[in-house]
Amino acid sequence: MRARSMRRRVIGCAKAVVIVLAVLWSTFPIFLVVSSSFKRTSDIFAVPLKIVFEPTVENYVGLWRDWSVFFTGLVNSLVITIGATLLTVVGSALAGWVFSRCSGRYFTGSAFALIILRLIPPIVITLPLFPIANVIGLNDTHILLIALYATFFVSLGAWIMKAFFNQVPRELEEAAANDGASLHQILLHITMPLAVPGMIAAAVFIFIFSWNDYLFAFIFTTSRAKTAPVILSEIMGSATGVDWGILFAAASIQLVPIVIFVIFLQKYLMAGLTAGSMKG
Amino acid sequence: MRRLGLVPYLMTAPANTLVGLFILLPAACVLALSFMQSSYGLAVTFVGLENYTKLLHDRYFWRSALNTFIVVNAIVYLELLLALGLTGVMPPPGPLCRIIISIIILPYAVSEVVGVLIIKYMFDPGAGVIAYWLHALGLPELAWTTRPGDALVLVILLTVWLHMPFTFLIVYTARLGLPAELYEAARTDGAGAWQRFRHVTLPLLMPAILVAVAFRYIFAFRLFPEVWLLTQGGPARQTEVLAVYLYKCAFRYYDFGLASATAWAMVILSLLIAAPYFRSMHRRRFDSAR
Repeated sequence: MRARSMRRRVIGCAKAVVIVLAVLWSTFPIFLVVSSSFKRTSDIFAVPLKIVFEPTVENYVGLWRDWSVFFTGLVNSLVITIGATLLTVVGSALAGWVFSRCSGRYFTGSAFALIILRLIPPIVITLPLFPIANVIGLNDTHILLIALYATFFVSLGAWIMKAFFNQVPRELEEAAANDGASLHQILLHITMPLAVPGMIAAAVFIFIFSWNDYLFAFIFTTSRAKTAPVILSEIMGSATGVDWGILFAAASIQLVPIVIFVIFLQKYLMAGLTAGSMKG
Repeated sequence: MRRLGLVPYLMTAPANTLVGLFILLPAACVLALSFMQSSYGLAVTFVGLENYTKLLHDRYFWRSALNTFIVVNAIVYLELLLALGLTGVMPPPGPLCRIIISIIILPYAVSEVVGVLIIKYMFDPGAGVIAYWLHALGLPELAWTTRPGDALVLVILLTVWLHMPFTFLIVYTARLGLPAELYEAARTDGAGAWQRFRHVTLPLLMPAILVAVAFRYIFAFRLFPEVWLLTQGGPARQTEVLAVYLYKCAFRYYDFGLASATAWAMVILSLLIAAPYFRSMHRRRFDSAR
């Protein structure tokens, strides 16, 4: 009996150690970025690593002075992210309701086509899109990136919404229809409000994706619509030598809001993953 | 409900239009382009399968295909192992568990660009924190700027770090759904921890594991920013993956025909990877509809 409780305690300790390692693995790199952004250049590469140091905001001041374009990039990122999120949520909710309520070959086919086409690697479609967008003047615009991000998430969004609409009883809609409500009224006042958690779940994914994307922004922007990640990569590859302090300041500004966003919306992230992947 | 007429068609129109306009149509263009010779300042001419033959005879293509194969497999299975291991040590559901999960999934929020920045900083030969620790432990340092293999190891490490939360969340939520009675029963039958894992947990988690692995194969296959920002495919094009090879064909050497052939090779490989998963999904859907 005693050997057994001993054993259980050892296993418990081992599990705790693994958890601690996992927590360090996930947070240490993020901690490094944020803490280094408050270090003087001489402290950033000090060996061994300085955990305690005299904080300074000079990197942020330097970022503002030397790379003010980064802040334009942040505004672009925000505009594009919000635009893409709204477009995706509206498109997904409308299509998701149809996939949940209407049977028939066209809609089943359309639901599967959306998912299968989405498997095509994004870089593939940049090939013809780049010259075409150039000709019609869509290159380097917010609109193009909004449409591209929404395109690559509207199918996942529609499937997430379908799973959530499946939970909303049809009887509610039928009762309202019997009371003389139009489809428009039913959707707007009954069904959609009940599916708001689904919309948030769909929104979380597209929001993170468009805030962080590098590939599309790198290929389709040259100056006006450049997003924060692209400018960040330019600071990193700066020809005049990398100023690590400024780089960490920029990275922290790009990183911290989205990390906080994920912490607060974790519940929806998990719900969306379950709905999008399991309940097909 | 009464007849809806055209309304459902209109409601699916935005999603269908986006995907049709920005995926289906460009993909069809790429297919057509892959049979053409095309570059800036040259007339587009039909060349049949020439691009594909050229592709198959380009040793840089094979190098990038091999790199992709190795890197993608390493990423997917390392993530799965870590996710399964973590699932096994998670405390029972409760506030502590929720806190641990929100910490573990944090890398999911980090962009690839910041990820590459972290890797470059930590593994800076001579000055990086991890490079210093590796040296202190007497381990060989990762000379990723000169040795292709070392660079790919860092690409794998970074991608696993960024995406393990996704695999973990899918596996973990599936594990939560397994009935506790099964484990009681297995325990009364005298099954040890390993046996319970091997004969109860693993088979029951298989559907979720398949979903996670399929998703991660498809997404890892697109790998671009990590490699591009870390090495640009160098030294001597030895660390290119398929997406980097394609990008260089198109936007550096302006050989759009060859790039399109590469693109279609990628599309076909993606669909092949996904095929078994979609077959089972389609089957399940029709079984439940019946």
